[in-house]
Order: sequence, then C-alpha cells, then structure tokens
Amino acid sequence: MSALLSVEDIHTFIGQSHILEGVSLQVDRGSITALLGRNGAGKTTTLKSILGLTPPRAGRVVFDGQTLNGRRTFDIAGLGIGFVPEHRAVFRDLTVEENLRIAERRKGDLARKADFIYGLFPDLKRLNKLKGGQLSGGQQQMLAIARSLVPDNRLLLIDEPSEGLAPVIIEQMMAAIKTLSEQSTVLLVEQNFIVASQLADRYTLIDDGRLVQTGRMADLVQDRATIHRYLGAA
Amino acid sequence: MPQSLSRYRPLLISVAVVLAFFATLSATMEARIWVSILLSGLTLAALYFLLASGLSLIFGLMDVLNFAHGSLFMLGAYAGWTFYTNPRVIFNTAPLFLALFAGLGLARWTHLLADRLPRRGLGRWLGLAVVVLVAVALLTLGFQAFPLDRLVAFGTTVAGRQVATAEAQEPLTQGLTRLVLLFLAGGVLSLGVGSRDVRQASAGPTSATTPSTLRAVGLPAVLVGLSIVLLLVRDAGETLMLKGLPSDLRFLLALVVGAATGALVGGLIEVGLIRPLYARPIYQVLLTLGLLFVFDQSVKAVWGPAGAFMEIPAFFNTASDRCPSPDLIAWLSDHCNSIMVLGRPFPSYRLFIIVVGVLLLAGVALLLQRSRLGIIIRAGVQDADMVQALGINVRRVFTLVFALGAGIAGLGGVAAAPFVGVNPGLALGFQLPAFIAVVIGGMGSYAGAALGALIVGLARAFGDYLVLTGVQLPGMSQALKASPTVANASTVLIMALVLLIRPSGLFGKKD
Amino acid sequence: MESTAPTTQRPVLARAGWLQRDGLLLAALAVLALFPFITSLLSGEAVDQGAPKFFQGLLIQMFIFAVYAMSYDLLMGYTGILSFGHALFFGSGAYMMGIALKHLQWPLLGAVGLVIVVAIVQSLIIGVLSLRVHGVYFAMVTLAFAQVAFLLATATDFRQWTGAEDGLQGIPVPALVSPTDNRLRFYYLALVFMVIMYLLARRIVNSPTGRVLVAIRENENRATMIGYNVFVFKMIAVILAGVFAALAGSLNALWNLNATPTVLGLDMTIEALLMTIIGGVGTLIGPMLGSGVLTILGYWLNATFGRNWLLILGVIYVLLVLFLPYGLVGTWRRQSARFGPGGWRELLRRTRS
Repeated sequence: MSALLSVEDIHTFIGQSHILEGVSLQVDRGSITALLGRNGAGKTTTLKSILGLTPPRAGRVVFDGQTLNGRRTFDIAGLGIGFVPEHRAVFRDLTVEENLRIAERRKGDLARKADFIYGLFPDLKRLNKLKGGQLSGGQQQMLAIARSLVPDNRLLLIDEPSEGLAPVIIEQMMAAIKTLSEQSTVLLVEQNFIVASQLADRYTLIDDGRLVQTGRMADLVQDRATIHRYLGAA
Repeated sequence: MPQSLSRYRPLLISVAVVLAFFATLSATMEARIWVSILLSGLTLAALYFLLASGLSLIFGLMDVLNFAHGSLFMLGAYAGWTFYTNPRVIFNTAPLFLALFAGLGLARWTHLLADRLPRRGLGRWLGLAVVVLVAVALLTLGFQAFPLDRLVAFGTTVAGRQVATAEAQEPLTQGLTRLVLLFLAGGVLSLGVGSRDVRQASAGPTSATTPSTLRAVGLPAVLVGLSIVLLLVRDAGETLMLKGLPSDLRFLLALVVGAATGALVGGLIEVGLIRPLYARPIYQVLLTLGLLFVFDQSVKAVWGPAGAFMEIPAFFNTASDRCPSPDLIAWLSDHCNSIMVLGRPFPSYRLFIIVVGVLLLAGVALLLQRSRLGIIIRAGVQDADMVQALGINVRRVFTLVFALGAGIAGLGGVAAAPFVGVNPGLALGFQLPAFIAVVIGGMGSYAGAALGALIVGLARAFGDYLVLTGVQLPGMSQALKASPTVANASTVLIMALVLLIRPSGLFGKKD
Repeated sequence: MESTAPTTQRPVLARAGWLQRDGLLLAALAVLALFPFITSLLSGEAVDQGAPKFFQGLLIQMFIFAVYAMSYDLLMGYTGILSFGHALFFGSGAYMMGIALKHLQWPLLGAVGLVIVVAIVQSLIIGVLSLRVHGVYFAMVTLAFAQVAFLLATATDFRQWTGAEDGLQGIPVPALVSPTDNRLRFYYLALVFMVIMYLLARRIVNSPTGRVLVAIRENENRATMIGYNVFVFKMIAVILAGVFAALAGSLNALWNLNATPTVLGLDMTIEALLMTIIGGVGTLIGPMLGSGVLTILGYWLNATFGRNWLLILGVIYVLLVLFLPYGLVGTWRRQSARFGPGGWRELLRRTRS
C-alpha cells in the first residue's frame, strides 16, 4: 500500500510555545488511521498543521505526492482534504442545508452526493431547514461529518467524533465512519480507545508533541502496557 | 415559542420603545409636524445606515474596526460630485489610476524579484527604503505639473447649473508619459506591498500555473489597454460627456463613480495595508485611524479645505408653477423640489435618500440570506478558519466584503452630497453617528446596524426640533433652547445609556 | 487585548548602578537646562531674543507634548488600553485653566486644582461607561466621547464660557508664569514640569500598581484569575492618564494664552498616538523622545511643504505603523536584547560584513 499522506518530522509553534516537536505519520490509501495520545499531546495541532491552519515551521507534509508546506489552507483543502473539527464546529447561524451547501467546491456537488449523505444520516434531511445551532450534539456531529462528504475528498481528517455523545449515537457514528471509509481515506483523532480500536486499521501514538510509535491497531490492542502508559485507562 | 421569544427580546423591546415614543408624539404634537420630523430622521437614518452596515459587516467578518470608513464616504462624495460637475475629469484621471493598478497587478511577477531582497535585518530596511523612494519618485514624476487645480477647481456655485467647458488638454504624449511612469511606479510598489501574500499563494510546484499566468499577464494588460483607450478617446468622450449628458444621467453615473471609488480604495486598503497586519489587530486599528487623518488631509490638499454644494439633479428639482407637488403621483410627472406631506412641503430628494437606504438594506440582506457569498460571510463571522478549511479563499472574501462595505459608503457619500454638500467634515460628521449606531445595535450584527441607524437618525431629527423650539418642563418659566450642535452631541447620551444597560448592544453577540 | 508592546524588562541595564542607568538621562537634562545659553553662545544673540528665544519656544511646546504623550502611553503602552479620545483630557485641561483664570478669576493654584478635579471626574465618567467594553470597541467609544466634547466646545450655546469656534482667547496668565513677560522662566517651568511628571510616572509604573497594569496588558484574564480587580486598576490607569494629560493641557493653555477647539480635536489624539508610536509603545522615554522628533519634524515639514505638511505627517504615521511598530526606543531595546550591550555597534558590524 502506498501512503496518501505522509507527515515528516514536523515542528509547530503556537505563539512562542513549541507544540509539536517532531511528529511523523503515514496514512495509507483506503485505510483508517487513528492518531492517539492523551489530552494536550498535540493531536489537534497535528491535524491543523496538515491543513496549514497552524503551519509547521520545520518538517514536511506530503499529500498524494505534493508538498503542502507553504500553501494556504483553502488551497490545501482544495486538493481533496476534508476536515471535521472537534466540538462539532458547525455554523450555528446557517441552516443544515446551508451548512452543506457552503462545502460545495463545484456547483452541483451537494445534489450529486445528496443520496449518499442522506442515506448515511437520514435525520439531516428532516432537519434541513433548522439552524445549525438548534441541533442536538449528535445531530451537529453528523452534520459536521456530512459537510466533509459534500465535495470529492480523498482524505478526511476527523477530530474527536465521539466526544460528549451518548453511546447509542456513538454506535451510529461509528457505522457511518466505517461506511464512508469505503470511499475515502480517514485520519481519525479519538480519545475513546474502544472507538478508535474498532474503527482503525493502523495507529500513530504521540505524546508531548513527539512521535512515540506507530503500527497495526491489532498489535496495539494486545499491548496493555503501552495503552496504560500513554492513554491512561483502557 | 418561548425560546424564539427570548431570541427576539431586544427587537421586541426596541419596538415597544418606538411605539411608546410615537404614542407620546401623537399626544403632544400635531401629526403633520412629527411626520415631517420623522421623514427628516429617516433621511439621516438612511445615510447613517449606509455607513454603519459596512462597519458592522467588516467588523463581524474580520474583526477590523475601520476608523477610515467615514473617509470612504467622504471620498465617494467628492468623487461623485467632481464627476457630476465636471464629467471630463474621468478621462484625465482614470487612465492614470488604471495604469497604477496595472503596475500593482504585476505582483505575481515582481515577487520573484522581491524574494531576492534580504528578508531581515538592515538589508530589509534598505531594500524597503529603496522601493519606497523609487516609487515616490516615479509617482511624483508621474503626477508632476498635473493640472489638478484646473480639473477639480470649478464653480462651487449651484445656481448656474453649467458644466465645466472643454479646455485645451495637455498633449497626448505627455498623458502617455504619465501612464508609463505610473505603471512603473505601480510595479515598484508591488514589490513592497503584495509580495509576501503572492509568494504564499503561488508556492508549491504544482499549483495550477496556467490560469495564474494568464491572470498575471491578462489583468495588467487589460488595465493598460483600457487606460490608453480612455486617453485616446478623451476628446470625443469629453464632447459627449459635456454636451450630451442630462443632469439625471450624470447623477446616476456619479453614484456609480462614488461607489466604485469607495470600493476600489477600500479594496486597496484591505489588500495593501490591513492584510499584512492581521497578526497585529491593534495596529490595524491604529492604521485605519491614520488613514482617516491622511484622507482628511488629502481631500483638503486636492479640493481645498472649504466645502461646496452639489446641485440636486433635475429629476428631483424641476421648477414649475405646480410646485410643490400635492402628492407622490403628481410628483412623478412634475418632479418638483418638494412634495406636500400632510400639508407641509418635504424635499423630494430626501425621499430619494430614504429609498436608496431601504433598497440597500433589502439588497444586502438578500445577498446575505440567499447568495453563496452571503452564506460564506455568515459562516465566516462565526469561524473564518473553518470556512478556509472547506477550501474557500477567505482572504479574498475579506477583500470583497471590505470593498463592498466601502462601496456602499462611497455610494452613500454621493447620495448625501446634494443634501449636505461636500466638505472635509463629512468623514467624522457621519462616522460618529454611524459608530453610535453600531454601538447601540451591537457590533457585527446587520440588523443591529439598521436599528441603530434608525434610532440615531430619529434622535437627531427630533433633537434638532426640540432644541430649536425649546423644551419647557413643568416649573420652568422659560423654554430651554439650544443650538443644533448640542442636539448633535446629545446623541452620545443614547450610546452611554446602551453601554450602561447592555454593553454588547441590542443585537450584539460579540463584545 | 493582545500585548502591543515589547516587555519592559531590561536585564542589562537593571544590574547597573543609578549613574549608569540614569547617566544618559541626566546628561540630556543638563543639556536641556543649559540649552538657552548654548544657543545664545552659538548665535551670538541674547538669551531672551532671536534664535535662542525661538528655540526655547519650540522646546517648551515639546516639553508639554512630552508629558501629554507620556500620559497616553500610561494607558496604551502600560495597561494595554487603546483610547482614541485622549484629546478630551488635554483639551479639557486647557479649557478649565482658561475658564478658571479668565472667567472665575481664580489664583493659579486654584485653577490647577480645578483642572485636576475636573480631569478626575471626567475620567471616572468615561471609565465607568467605556471600560464596560474592550479593545477596539473602547477606542470607538472614547473617540465618540471626545468628539462630543469637541462639538460642545464649538457650540454657540456656551460662547460666553468657551468662545465657541474662536476659542477662549486672551487668558490672563499670572505674571509669575507668563510666557510673554519672561520666556526663559517659562522655559524652566515647562522643563521642571516635564521632569516632575516623568519622575512621577516612573514611580507609578515601577510601583506594585504599575506591575499590575502591565499584568493586565499581558493577559487580562490571568490578572483577573490571580484575584486583581481589573476594573479598578484600569480605572486607576484612566484617571492617572487623564490627570497627566489635563495638566499638560493646562500648561499648553498658559503657553498659548488661549484654548481653542483644536486642542479637543481628533488631530490632538493622533498626535499623542504619533509621538507614542514614533518613540516606542510601552516605555516612558519613548513618547518623550517622540514628542521631540514630532516637534522638530513638524517644524521642518511645515517649513518645507507648507500647507500640506500634515498630509506628509499622516503618511509617515501610516508607514511607521506598518514598518516600525515598536518605535525608536522599542526597536533599540529589541536590538539590544538580541545583540546584548552595544547592540547597535554589533548591528553595524554585521551589516558591513
């Protein structure tokens, strides 16, 4: 398998603080890769560095053979990278439909993908005219994922999809991510190790802004010590 | 229902206050008087809204409070008035600015050179100094002995209604020399101004090169071509402009010129001056305050410190023995200066200002609600980074919105000119009420800007009336009178009240 | 509010003794004190005539503006409050001094007392209303208040007190401090005034209160969480800056023998900003230096470009904001911090090689 995305030893600063001190990872085509680590390890910053929202000062990010360093965020996203930020950042003052429509990169994207999206999240069709801010937490999360599916994205960066959701909703969410991963590659940040271990094929573990180890998820599940040490309880 | 009720509480409260206000009015004043004051208030409110809406949109989207917004209003007024009284000015000035912009458009090429300049230390300063000096020298040469005074100093009179006559022009070669010099000046300036941004935009080996090359060559070429053509057709165009244009058409074009001036200047300010400072927001504000000062001084330098009146176009100013028009229907055929409203004449041009205000209020609201740009703006107000992560060039939207707000302000300036004249005091004179309006309405809220402008406009009109007729409270032997200046100043009391009760404004979400 | 200024720590200088620390300042003070006599020697004219008299006038204006600019930096540079209405205090000080001397016929000390009391009351009102909002919002609100003061000064309603558009002319200045009777005396008065205000300001910014102000500038939330009543401390800064500016304004009224609406206008606020930014935000010496640069620059520009000199000044301001945001002193300190003591020598060596 060849890597769709590879992050090579990136260093990222926010203000004066050195947040990422050498993170590397690879996401293979068609896989779900989980980015693991405890709170504050730099997972979200890694996603933002890939997207150029917090551009890395050193190191390289390569997507599908193209170097992303120095490119601006909209340009990077335009290459086919979708972003589902943490805290379900949907646009509160936009209706559900507008939240989806804004993600169109070409006219007709939404019409083309409507069946797939509404098939995945039937609720959204019903809620079409409601404002993003009026949705429940789970519905907002579905909308945030749905939004990333509107254009033809080859890679999805999904940040903490299960955070703060009821167990039933998490089940639905996992099913949806499984389904959409048949079409695009996924880099998943997930605090909930059970969710991550069931979804992901491979993992990359970071701690304090540094790469710890990377490998097959199946192997990590066996490695109680590592899980305990870097992810707390599991 | 209760949820939506609390959502609209500010609106409901303001409606209640307004209703109570009118109840008091109708109890204490004759209807024909307060309706006439009300219309005056709406006229002012419309103009304040044209400023406040842009201020609020720009602040909402990019957190920039534009202290030079009143200047754009003033520049629009001056540009529109100049064009209206002397349309030939456009053939003499527009080519020069087009050439300058064409030069600036070379940024996509010049950044290759800019990359060679030292990036830090004294070398960078020397490089910058050389760039600025060369540009200033070229600009000075380009504008040297430009017959500015002859172009802009024409009758400040209203009465004659004559348009400046065609005078001997400078030789064509001289005009072309100016074009070349200004094109070069723009090119040099592009080294200093846009290079960093362009470098980022076109970095990466695979970014689609064909369209950007096309644009890099195409845009400047088109601008240069246009400027040369304008210069060449100068004489024919002038004859047409001077002889063939009725005042109504000239006025309509003046509105376009004012809006275009505002939008262009606004866009340039955003790209060239504000964009480098997004990392230092305080300095953006310091910068726009400086621009307020610079524009004030430039207007005084170009047009002189004294103001001028602008003639009301014939459409709203046709004398006949049937004037003032008894009603709106009659007015449509005789275009009188005034229309009778409940037995009192009201200037028809001011009604036009109200119409312009309402049209723009509705137009921009429609844009915000219905268009893709509107969706992007509303989303960007909440989270510009996320919009960017969807693959949308937010920077370009910023520039667009800045230019849009500035264009509306420029249009407002032209619309205001026949009503209040043109003078350097326009900038602060209208910016201050617009500020008070956005504080009352809440920064970043479009509806708030409209409501705030309405409140301030009405307060001004009724304040003016009250201070002139005098206020007599029970127990006072004499009515208390004051000058309109005091009424003007007292609108700040409303702002103080809002700050005390609800610092974020009636509709404000941002602090 | 983001921090707008470099930190004021000067590890290199702090270790040195007071002579080393203040040696430069004392030397500058000595030069200023001897200045009338130096110019007199150089030009061959008497101290109270010709060129010496003219340059004394220039410096008097500079001393007054130095205090005004310093007061502005107490707000902007030390507390991180961006006010666009500072002219309100300067102008009110000038008008109050004029009204007290001309219309109330109070003695000088009484007039100064009135200036201070009015400045405190004004600061309290403006502070209570405006400190409810933050950042650029505060700037906008203060600008509105200052413009209202400007409008009221020009209003015909108060002509008997303010002189409306013409301003308050012909203030009867007591002979002791009259700039027309004895300019040299007024020169020393202005110099002493500036020195006292500087020492006071330095005392304040180095006091515990001053450190809290800097803490607020750096991170308002943190200052709140540590347990400081941020509102009270900001209020203190607003009052201090207001009183300083009002005193500078009152001296300006004595110097010009009048108070016109221009001292309340936006141009006056811009001058405060200009001086602070030229000199360096977040320092006391910077704005004073800025007032010197601005006075001399203004004189030169006025002489060279005539009517349009203010336009040039505005362009310079814009360029400064874009390219020299830390001002002269701020940039010098940053360079010193980067290269250690003797920073400029090092910098020059590097650029030569």
